[in-house]
Amino acid sequence: MMLFVAIFAQFAVGGLTLVGLRRRPALAAALGVVVLACSAVLVAARGIGGAETSSYSVRWLPILGFNLNVQLDGFAVVMALLVSVLGAAVLVYSLAYFEHDGTYARFVGLFMAFAGSMFGLVLAEDLFTMFVFWELTSVWSFLLIGLNDKSTSARQAAVRALLTTGAGGLCLLAGVGILQVQYGTTSFSELLAAGPSGNFAHAAAILLLLGAFTKSAQFPFHFWLPGAMAAPTPVSAYLHSATMVKAGIVLLARTSPIFADVGVWRWWVVVAGVVTMVLGGWRALREVDAKLVLAYSTVSQLGLLTVLFGVGNRYATYAGVAHIVAHAIFKVGLFLGVGVIDHEIGTRDVSKIGAARRAMPTTTLAMVLSLLSMAGIIPLLGFATKEKALVALLDLERDAVGVVALAGVVVGSVLSVAYSIRLLRAVLRSDVAPERSQVAAHSSVDADHHSSVAVRIALSGPVVVAAAVSLAAGLTAATVGSWLVAPSKSLDVNAVSKLALWPGINDALITSAIVIAVGAVIGWRAPLSQSATSAATGERVFDGLYDTTMRLAKRITAVTQSGSLPIYVGVTLLVAAGGLVAGLVIDAPRLTGGVSWGSPLEALVSIVAMVLAVGVAVARPRFAGALFLGGVGYAIAVLFAMRGAPDLATTQLLVETLTIVVFLLALRSMTQKTGTHVGWTPRVLRLGIAVGVGIVVPLFLLAARASRIRPSPAQEYFARSLDEAGGRNVVNVILVDFRGFDTMGEIVVLAVAALGVVNLVRRAAR
Amino acid sequence: MSVWEFAVIAVLFGVGAYMVTERSLTRIALGVGVLGNGVNVVIITAGSNTGEAPILGRTGDLTDPLPQALVLTAIVIGFALLTFLMTLAWRNWTLTHDDEVEDDVEDRMIASRAERMDKSGDQPHHEDVVP
Amino acid sequence: MKMRSSAILSELVDRWLTKVATLIAVYVTFRGHNAPGGGFAGGLLLGAAFVLQFLAGDEPSIRRRPIRNPEMLLGVGLLAAFGTTLAPLIAGGSPLESYIWKLDVPVIGEVKFVSSTLFDLGVFAVVVAVVLMILRALGTEGAGVSAHRGRAASRDQGGAPR
Repeated sequence: MMLFVAIFAQFAVGGLTLVGLRRRPALAAALGVVVLACSAVLVAARGIGGAETSSYSVRWLPILGFNLNVQLDGFAVVMALLVSVLGAAVLVYSLAYFEHDGTYARFVGLFMAFAGSMFGLVLAEDLFTMFVFWELTSVWSFLLIGLNDKSTSARQAAVRALLTTGAGGLCLLAGVGILQVQYGTTSFSELLAAGPSGNFAHAAAILLLLGAFTKSAQFPFHFWLPGAMAAPTPVSAYLHSATMVKAGIVLLARTSPIFADVGVWRWWVVVAGVVTMVLGGWRALREVDAKLVLAYSTVSQLGLLTVLFGVGNRYATYAGVAHIVAHAIFKVGLFLGVGVIDHEIGTRDVSKIGAARRAMPTTTLAMVLSLLSMAGIIPLLGFATKEKALVALLDLERDAVGVVALAGVVVGSVLSVAYSIRLLRAVLRSDVAPERSQVAAHSSVDADHHSSVAVRIALSGPVVVAAAVSLAAGLTAATVGSWLVAPSKSLDVNAVSKLALWPGINDALITSAIVIAVGAVIGWRAPLSQSATSAATGERVFDGLYDTTMRLAKRITAVTQSGSLPIYVGVTLLVAAGGLVAGLVIDAPRLTGGVSWGSPLEALVSIVAMVLAVGVAVARPRFAGALFLGGVGYAIAVLFAMRGAPDLATTQLLVETLTIVVFLLALRSMTQKTGTHVGWTPRVLRLGIAVGVGIVVPLFLLAARASRIRPSPAQEYFARSLDEAGGRNVVNVILVDFRGFDTMGEIVVLAVAALGVVNLVRRAAR
Repeated sequence: MSVWEFAVIAVLFGVGAYMVTERSLTRIALGVGVLGNGVNVVIITAGSNTGEAPILGRTGDLTDPLPQALVLTAIVIGFALLTFLMTLAWRNWTLTHDDEVEDDVEDRMIASRAERMDKSGDQPHHEDVVP
Repeated sequence: MKMRSSAILSELVDRWLTKVATLIAVYVTFRGHNAPGGGFAGGLLLGAAFVLQFLAGDEPSIRRRPIRNPEMLLGVGLLAAFGTTLAPLIAGGSPLESYIWKLDVPVIGEVKFVSSTLFDLGVFAVVVAVVLMILRALGTEGAGVSAHRGRAASRDQGGAPR
């Protein structure tokens, strides 16, 4: 129950900020920090203290079997702690980073709503619950990327991110639907017990993977993540490196044990992960914007995590959990650090950020530590976890998948060392003098914003703390590693391993040493001022698809929405007639229904009706048309009377009289003749449609009469009418009793039409 | 079903279809009236054979009362609909001295925008993302 | 002389037509349960009587209709129909369930009253109200608007605005 309270409290702060605390965003942020801290404490107390897993459920749509199920197992504890602790840290940082205006209030509100959603996502115990929070995070992410709503590029990036992750979310939903229908559950534990296999499981697995890959920016859906860097730094740090992009990884981690042996799962996961890791690393090595370097490095690291959870051996799962933690810590520190530099000297160009070194040595030192952790250098936490990843991959069977995974990760690791070292060099570079004007402009701004010590601490604090944690956890790797055993076991009962500061000389260490050496050389020699690369291919493909879709939509609209009423009506008639023709073609033999010649009287009245009907169409004077229409109605009334329907005949006679009067009243003010202007299509075409409809309808009626498969309920009505409803006129009894509800609806329609007429006239009068 | 019913239905639907594809609201209303009569005849013809009125106590074959109940309300509602349409026509005339239905301007605008886009080959991306 | 006879006719219609028509229409409505007739037919019949009265008299005379407020009649009719539908729920039956009361009246004999007759009366009231509203809107108010607009238009633009 307390877990739901925690989720709800985070949403509540978000909502409160957006509605009530717009003017006091700092207060709202402080409130948010408190709530996140309390959530962290709650999770720690519940999850770490107790050995048993606590889980809670809220009935949502019991009829459909949908409940919100959350549980706090080991993995959920780790993730929830990351979400709440990092959230609090980033929120503190944002206090100093933003101007305290309306944008900041919106940021705090959306941020808290996102934190609540992410909190719920990592606690989800079934796929349905996860999907609900998953979609929420996509929406908040969209709004946060587009936080600067005056920037075109930010809005475009937001749309790209939303459409990509949204499409993935739909895939996920489809997969969840298949599993729910096929196995009657979406709970992770129950699905694991069910052991899905076969075509449906295969389809579901592919759909889940599409969801995970779009969310976690795996190839070929990786392009939206660098674009998302249009968001302010705190957003990038929290959503697009530490938490939201891990949602896909969480999904993989939860479902890999279930689907690891289903079809293409392992192959696809490993290949996508490896390609993403190498591609991201390569791009990170070439970018000049420090934030983009970090974005691509995130893509690359997510690739590594995908591989680790995809191969699913007992060491790899543990390594994956450990690396999620390590990555979240050093990446938050790096993003926030770049943000500080940007704030301080007004540039993120890697060839210029060295200028900040002298002004803020502490922050620079902290960033160096985080970079070393990212490169996987002893004695930082990144070293221990990367080491574990190599151990796990070296332990794989040397089948095709294992070889691809190992080779890919080794290449990817070389690249990640390289881009880390390149960035390290950029940060430490002392031979750049900041451009004068920039410094001047910024120091004056700084005088306003950076004067207080509190602001400096708020900005640099999280950066320093993150680096310190990376270092401390690296030094005490054995202890930290032991904490991560239970979380890994909650994903995969066989997961084992431990972290170590110094693992001893083994294959992994030797590989690691080679990787670091090669990577360092590449990184040291990589130019800092690479000419800016063109837009990523994925982005171009996406934009091409988007443009084509929009263009196609416009063209279709232009064709179908001509704006002409005659065309709309004509098409409607043609389609209706076409449907009837299709029915006739399918059921042609039934056209042999009995046709009689009828009585002479019937012939006479029918001929009168037909002549009058043609008169309606031919007569140009409006009054004449109305009178002819009334005549048709009278003739039809006679036909009704002859068919044993006196009620209809009476009503029809009265209605036709009233209709004529209404026409006369309405036509009083109009000119006598209607315009001949039709302005649409040749009269021949309209005649064609008319003749077609006129032939098809009675033919279809003939077939319909011959196709009766059930007797009419008439006999039942006859039997019940007198006893139950006390009436002999069965038509009337049906109207007021058996089908009284219908009649009620009909008199309501009458009332609405009359009110409409009254109001149309009165409004015209004004 | 007699030949005459067949013919009446054919003519009513043909005339109705011909008239509702015009532009004058008065003519459209007349067309709707003719079509409505046609539909009523179809329902009655489809659902029953000729016979005595469905009133208990009468001798002979009683016709099916259900289609009659359906058509009875259809007649009255058809009257309300026609009245509404004629009021629209009247109102159009009163305000613009014309009862013709013009092309929808919004639809036309979309069409011309698509044409422009095709001609210039510019990117619709910005235009659509930016409100 | 012609004017005079028209006035007499108009007065005759005014005084008697609606009263007689109302009687007949209510009779048709009640009769409908056992013979041709019913709320729709009855309502239209009375409506037709009002139309006749409208056509016979001067236009402003429609304001002196016995039913001055057709919207009220519309509401009453709808309420009657709704009420008959829902009343059995209160009595513990199913919606629209019919109750049949039989009375032994001396001389006339057995009189039967079915609860769904009330429903039909509601339909009757709605139909009458609808006809009256349309008549008033298009007949009286509409005519005024057209005349006014027409004058204004020809004064402003010397012809039909387009």
